[in-house]
Amino acid sequence: MTRKQKIWEYIQENTSNKPEGFTTSELVQVLGLVRSNVSKELNELVRENLLVKTSGRPVRYLLDEKNSAIQVKKGSMKELAPEIGESKQSEADVFEKIIGWKGSLKNQVDQAKAALLYPPHGLNTLITGPTGSGKTYFANAMYYFARNNQIIAADKPFTTFNCADYAHNPQLLMSHLFGYVRGSFTGAAEDKDGLIQEADGGMLFLDEVHRLPPEGQEMIFYFMDHGTYNRLGETVKTHHANVRLVCATTEDPESALLQTFVRRIPITIQMPSFKQRTMRERLQLLKHLLVIEANRIKKNIRLNEDVVQALLGSVTYGNVGQLKSNIQLVCAQGFLNSIQNKTEILITFAQLPPNIKEGLSLLANNRKELGELTKMLEPAMIVRPDNDMHVIDESGDYELPYNLYEIIGDKAAVLKSEGLDQSAINNFILTDINVHLKTFYQGAKKVQTENNLNEIVDQEIIDITRNIMQELETKYEYSIGSNFIYAMSLHISSFIKRLQSGQPLRAVSSDIVEMVKEYQLEQKIAEHIKALLEEHYHFPVPESEMYYLAILLVSLKTAPTSGKVGIVVAAHGKSTASSMVKVVEQLLSVDNLKAFDMSLDMSPQIAFQGICQEVKEIDHGNGVLLLVDMGSLSTFSDRLTASTGIQVKSLDMVTTAMVLEAARKTSLIDSDLTTIYKELREFNGYSRQIQIPEKKVVEPDKIVLGDKRKKIIIAICSTGKGTAERIKGILDQILVDNLIDDIGVVPLSVVGMEKEVRKLNTQYQIIAATGIAKPNIKVPFISLEDLLQGGGEKFIQMIENVGFPALKEAEALEKSDTLTEETAQQYLDQYFTFLNPHKIIKILWDYCNFIDRHSDFDFTNSMRISVIMHLGGAIERELLGSTLSISDEEGTTVEKNSNYKLIKQANEIIENTLNIKLSEAENFYIIKLFDTQIANA
Amino acid sequence: MAMDVRLLRIDSRLLHGQVATNWVKAAKVDRILVVSDGVAKDELRKVLIRQATPPGTKVNVIPINKMLRVYQDVRFAGLKVMVLVECPLDAQRLIESGIRINSINIGSLSFSMGRRMVTDTIAVNQTDVEAFTWLHNRGIQLETRKVSTDSKRDLWKALRENGLVKKTV
Repeated sequence: MTRKQKIWEYIQENTSNKPEGFTTSELVQVLGLVRSNVSKELNELVRENLLVKTSGRPVRYLLDEKNSAIQVKKGSMKELAPEIGESKQSEADVFEKIIGWKGSLKNQVDQAKAALLYPPHGLNTLITGPTGSGKTYFANAMYYFARNNQIIAADKPFTTFNCADYAHNPQLLMSHLFGYVRGSFTGAAEDKDGLIQEADGGMLFLDEVHRLPPEGQEMIFYFMDHGTYNRLGETVKTHHANVRLVCATTEDPESALLQTFVRRIPITIQMPSFKQRTMRERLQLLKHLLVIEANRIKKNIRLNEDVVQALLGSVTYGNVGQLKSNIQLVCAQGFLNSIQNKTEILITFAQLPPNIKEGLSLLANNRKELGELTKMLEPAMIVRPDNDMHVIDESGDYELPYNLYEIIGDKAAVLKSEGLDQSAINNFILTDINVHLKTFYQGAKKVQTENNLNEIVDQEIIDITRNIMQELETKYEYSIGSNFIYAMSLHISSFIKRLQSGQPLRAVSSDIVEMVKEYQLEQKIAEHIKALLEEHYHFPVPESEMYYLAILLVSLKTAPTSGKVGIVVAAHGKSTASSMVKVVEQLLSVDNLKAFDMSLDMSPQIAFQGICQEVKEIDHGNGVLLLVDMGSLSTFSDRLTASTGIQVKSLDMVTTAMVLEAARKTSLIDSDLTTIYKELREFNGYSRQIQIPEKKVVEPDKIVLGDKRKKIIIAICSTGKGTAERIKGILDQILVDNLIDDIGVVPLSVVGMEKEVRKLNTQYQIIAATGIAKPNIKVPFISLEDLLQGGGEKFIQMIENVGFPALKEAEALEKSDTLTEETAQQYLDQYFTFLNPHKIIKILWDYCNFIDRHSDFDFTNSMRISVIMHLGGAIERELLGSTLSISDEEGTTVEKNSNYKLIKQANEIIENTLNIKLSEAENFYIIKLFDTQIANA
Repeated sequence: MAMDVRLLRIDSRLLHGQVATNWVKAAKVDRILVVSDGVAKDELRKVLIRQATPPGTKVNVIPINKMLRVYQDVRFAGLKVMVLVECPLDAQRLIESGIRINSINIGSLSFSMGRRMVTDTIAVNQTDVEAFTWLHNRGIQLETRKVSTDSKRDLWKALRENGLVKKTV
């Protein structure tokens, strides 16, 4: 009799005496077995659904009521509910739980079943499909199907490995996958099994398999053929494992994988993109994902029709995964806004972030789909928590590792006890939600950044640079900015290209040699990088290159483009300052804060020295903001600047809210000390300025209107050749896209940059800079990284504003409450012939107020002017009997628009007062006007 | 090769409601160019124009001399654009300086003292009539439509019927 049988029989025989169940210790005692064995077997029995275990301590094991006559008491049933719920999963065909199993995934499900059931051991499978289309989810479903059909034993694992995680280090990747023997490489202190062995008898899921290096693919296909493999450091393939292999990739397998590899995978399952799925399925997916959130929040979620449309329309490149992220984001916001409501959270269109709002107009572009969707929607959708809902376990990339809602709730409580008002709390937490979600998606973003870099640099070089970066961080503890990867890979790329094309080497001037001598560490590192490059490319790297590498390192170090402004909080009292800092650090997870506590009798001199110390520590080259409790301390700032050389600005009357605001502001990119200081001074009236008015800073490079010099942007690169030219190409394209023809781009080397900039400045009007380092000139700067990541629009805005100082009229319009009936009346007067603006303005103004009151979009002042002008036109056209026309196709869409009813109601204002009824065609244009304005708001 | 001007429209309100909804779609353009020396300097009107632009379409508000410059610039060759100007004189300036077009669409010219209504949306003064005459003499069709589905009406005929221009052969 095996150990397991022994335990099983004992429990069966003695259950009537112990209805509450057995603990592990009791069984160890009566059966005389080792504890670890007993607990292992008990868990085994639980997995086989013979036993169930109670929650709570100590854990008790009892017969699963389905297999026994003994009635379990009602009370304990509840405790057991989760386990029983889980066992449901085993009963049905899991594929039937997948949305679209009878629809757009029918073929895929059939393929998967065939792959799993094919005798004797099934077929290896490749799942392809775009990012977020559900490849990991589908692989999980395959695993559960296999388990439920006894293809895989219940205790055998589903092992996941993402090949992208180690793509920069093939050796590490291979050792993870196949294991290694002692001494096969430095650090291999003992033998270790790889994932293949771990997955023996189970299923191994290789995600992003195209990132597996060719030698890895070869080892995997040998393993597919023979079932044997060798660990790293072994020469003979003696290890055996029985593994069902499921691979996934976003790429085209024909081009991204070895042909020999692809040929060995007989089944390729293509997941459809979100857009390829039917509208009904998309809606089901949305509801399903909302129920998951409702279960987490434990409240109902209420959304209006337009929110549903916007969410569905907001899905672009990222498919279901993106929908999931977007839903998490809007639920988190909705949760925060409805925190007082115990039963329900409300998500309104007005609350949605702009990129999701945009979804509405994206969806509206496809009339057929919009029509189809509208038919399936009610004005409001209410999603209730549903604990019986079937969710296939998925530890994929789209799963938050924690309960976001609990975090939000806790933080709101903390802030409230700090005495902040609700709007301030919402503000801080929204920042926080964004930070959380951002860090969470950084993985995905990194890949994207690299892809952009890919356009100009070979992947091989990016990989080498990544290796170099790692070595620098571990070996030299050399701190590296985020722009390192850009700057270094561009430099290496141009250097390699030059060598390969046989161009003459650059001579090193004696100036450079002298300069490098002063930087011992950088010189050493540069030598190391040179050695790494020689090792990789198998050709000698000339000595001169070492100097250029050193210079590059120095310039990267001395020109941090993203160092945050530091904050020092100094206050009297034992821990007043440090407790404020602590609260803020916890809330915003920032690291640019320092606290200085002062006892009441501390002499000013000691206090000064102490603060001086903190200022030096927290400064990253962008200055320090000093927040103090009493006015006298704020006079320190000039003295601090004088004695440390660090720019310091101070504000008095510090509060926790002010520290929070300061920390939040400094964490934004592009924030400099002066701006933050100015903004904080006006912060909510919490603080007031006591400092003597600043002296006006003279800006030497100020743009002079009427400047006849040609305008240029400088692009800074390591050498100013090769790669820099290509970056110039990218910039030129951005300029062309924005119809800018009178601005040139000048590539520049980082070596001797400052001198060159001064020279250029006499001849040209430098209006902006981009590249790997920031020149010391007062013009807008955007880092290369930001530029390649789609910062082009921002860059253009920056340079378009150059030469038009203080044209803030437009902004003033939006902010002021001064858009009056008179102003609008003047507009009407200017453009219409027959209307009497004086008489009609009141009616149109009421029309706008009515819409404003009954809608949830933001009715901006500029929107109001546009609406009034348009309605004026519509009324005049009706009077003249020359109304606009629309096509039949357009006519059919009018009534389906979500704003149609509202506009009809508002039209009654015009009907009742002027006895003018607007035609359906005019309604069409009014609706379109709102759609456009909302989308652009 | 130069830019491809698909539509040249004169409308004193430039880009607004039905123009955006209807013409952008009908003319199948990549970009809207609002050409006006005045508006290019007027941030407020620029905002209103940007707000009225259909999502997915780009708009630039530029002065006349820039329009002439970029029109010939090879970097923008082949770009399909719709050009909006405020008055006939601006249209004349563009065409005088080499912009090629066979037909001009006139939407509305707003009425003020010293002007005369010639259709229900178009009011002209002497300067306008001179510009229209210049355009007409160049063989350019002058048609009035509010939206693309309206039937084309000849503005020249309306001017003639109002006795503003003499019959030409």
